[in-house]
Amino acid sequence: MAEFDLAIIGAGPAGMAAAVTADKAGLRVALLDEQPRPGGQIYRNVSQASADRVRVLGADYALGRGLTTALAESGVQHIHGAVVWAIEDGFRLSYTANGTAAQVSARRVLIATGALERPLPIPGWTLPGVMTAGAAQILLKGSGIVPRQAVLAGSGPLIYLVAAQMVRAGVPPLALVETQSTRDMIGALRHMPGALRGWRGLAKGLGLIRELRRAGVKRFTGADRLKVEGMDRAEALCFRAGGEDHRIACETVLLHHGVVPNTQVARSIGVSHRWSSAQQTFTPVLDAWGGTDRPGLFIAGDGAGISGAMVAEIAGRLAALKLAEEAGHLGISERDRRAAPLLRARARELAIRPFLDAAYPPYPGALRPDDDTLICRCEEVTAGEIRQTATLGCLGPNQAKSFTRAGMGPCQGRYCGLTVTAILSQTTGQSPDETGYYRIRPPLKPVTLAELAAMAETGATNPEGE
Amino acid sequence: MQAEYAIIGGGVVGLSVAWGLQRRGLRVVVLDGSDGDFRASRGNFGLIWVQGKGMYAPRYAEWTRGSAALWAAFASELGECTGRDLWLRQDGGYEVFFDDAEMARTAAAYEGLKARLGGDYPYEILGGNALRREEPAIGPRAVGAILHGEDGHTSPLLLLRALADDFRRLGGRVLTGRQVIAVDRPDGFRMTCADGETVEAGKIVLAAGLGAATLGPMLGFRAPVRPQRGQILITEKLPKLLRRPTVDLRQVEAGGVQIGATNEEVGFDDHSTQPAMARLAARAVETVPALAKAQIVRSWAALRVMTPDGLPIYQESAAMPGAFLVTCHSGITLAAAHALRLPDWLEAKRGAPDLAAFSEDRFSR
Repeated sequence: MAEFDLAIIGAGPAGMAAAVTADKAGLRVALLDEQPRPGGQIYRNVSQASADRVRVLGADYALGRGLTTALAESGVQHIHGAVVWAIEDGFRLSYTANGTAAQVSARRVLIATGALERPLPIPGWTLPGVMTAGAAQILLKGSGIVPRQAVLAGSGPLIYLVAAQMVRAGVPPLALVETQSTRDMIGALRHMPGALRGWRGLAKGLGLIRELRRAGVKRFTGADRLKVEGMDRAEALCFRAGGEDHRIACETVLLHHGVVPNTQVARSIGVSHRWSSAQQTFTPVLDAWGGTDRPGLFIAGDGAGISGAMVAEIAGRLAALKLAEEAGHLGISERDRRAAPLLRARARELAIRPFLDAAYPPYPGALRPDDDTLICRCEEVTAGEIRQTATLGCLGPNQAKSFTRAGMGPCQGRYCGLTVTAILSQTTGQSPDETGYYRIRPPLKPVTLAELAAMAETGATNPEGE
Repeated sequence: MQAEYAIIGGGVVGLSVAWGLQRRGLRVVVLDGSDGDFRASRGNFGLIWVQGKGMYAPRYAEWTRGSAALWAAFASELGECTGRDLWLRQDGGYEVFFDDAEMARTAAAYEGLKARLGGDYPYEILGGNALRREEPAIGPRAVGAILHGEDGHTSPLLLLRALADDFRRLGGRVLTGRQVIAVDRPDGFRMTCADGETVEAGKIVLAAGLGAATLGPMLGFRAPVRPQRGQILITEKLPKLLRRPTVDLRQVEAGGVQIGATNEEVGFDDHSTQPAMARLAARAVETVPALAKAQIVRSWAALRVMTPDGLPIYQESAAMPGAFLVTCHSGITLAAAHALRLPDWLEAKRGAPDLAAFSEDRFSR
């Protein structure tokens, strides 16, 4: 088994920045990532993108090239196409690459697995033709494919960005159906002083909205009662806005209402998490460096709480400084000297976040889905079935999972976990922290029996009493 | 008195007993714990298994067979009352062998048990080819199997849910999120929970799994139970591959093939581990080579509730008559007996099963 000082899971901005920083400090670093090329979701495929694609995707996307170049020039061992499916004490990471399971061991681990789109369970959301706005953006980044006759629905800055990118690609969306209301925006104004400190981010958002207006993209705000209609596939998005019912015929519905930390890896090794009411999600409990309650285990980037790519990059560098110091490669004063400007930059970048969280809250209808709405797509479980488990004594999602199969599918509960916790919490009156979350276990991603069995044959495993 | 019986433990053992008492018209309250508790009932493999039980303890073999024989009626009543099929299949099950000598040794042991039971112990020995005629998916390295016709399987989670549902339908009460921290006897039994609430009942059944180790002594039991970890894997949903279960493979109702199980003495550690997963996978592929390409979508681990000799304990407290300890590691197999026969024993009715062999006094000898 290959041994490293530091293993990093995820080659997005946090993972790349941490890898390069730690490598420079003299640590032997392995960077494991599922994609063939570094960049994560935000800078996906950036090292290969054509000039035209960079024009469509924008200047922020091109920023990723600095990181991918630095990574390529570093001594970091970048293990690409590697799907990590287990993390155990020690630390020992098990992954599959090119159809073969393998392991690395490392004294320290940084989890930089980023964010997942918050599921948006509404009637009809599982029909073909419905996907997330993030998935549409991945298609654009990876293959230049833009969905036609599409409606974007939900809330959050990503909707504006994807819509603007579609406009630039020459395939504008039919409409933007936004669920946030004027009241959310007024409530967010109390965070304006902070947001003004992060005025660059604010200006970018306003610029996108102007770009959409110039392109003539229709916008609805305060939309409610979202529903996708269609027999075998999506045919229209229906909703209520401005006191009227609307129906927009379309071929594609792109849903999005923010992103949430991907906590699967951290949860599988027992890192404590707490409910964040500002972000309406669970986030890991971390110190200022990104250190968890498990010695040697750090988290940086959106997996630590949603803060965006710039903060992720800074957090990756901060974690790497602390890890280098712990490993004896950096003195404490040198660590602190180099951390000081990063901490200031992070505070600046974070200034806009409370405003964004308040201005673009998740769509309330999806946090309390109707009884008939599917919430677990793998096992086809409805919100009503989850509510019923509460009457059968289920206090938390692990009991509800036993009774309904919600969360038992290949996604390991990534797409229903927060919804199940929310529904149970609403039904029992317990807080989300009291209600808890699914117990996450390996394999974090599916692995074949042959891959696993080969590890037993090659002696990759230690004999254990049976 | 709030209830005639309080059952401490809302797992499959506690709910089976509770349901059995409630359906006879007794008033029962169940005290159940939290979502994060060690819950063996949530990690069970789901076999209704006679084979291998009580090889050297004939009374246990009889008790197990008795429960297996009651299962069809039990499942049918629960199914009718809740409108949910428990997916019971009792068409037999195998222990597959890869070594002739080992199979011969096991068969000889069954002959011994059969003699001790007066010749009443049905089982069949299948050679490799006979086994593959029954189960074409089983690979060439298997030399044969012992087929026990009374073996079978069910969905342990559907069973748990049906019990939770029907016990309430019958008027039973379940208090959830309760951790019993003290029991005293002012008049009947009074249980005090961690949240300060008290519950009073005429009799108590302690069916708290591993929790019995701490609660048992308060009621005058030894309750020598320890955790034993079992890890299990499950594949993606597959087309029909196996007709009958083996002791460590069964195709569940949804199509996944469930692969079990380790027996690990690791204390209160219920983590899944990669080395054990790899060993389970290797053995499964050796048994059913077609599984090699299947994806594992989940694993889990649960802690069995083990006694020193692996047999159940059914014991009334000498120090506190009216308090009973019920514990076992085969809560699914024995669910039918616990539901349909244990109430007679608890109520000291005529025709009650003789459970003297399962007294915990056996550990003081």
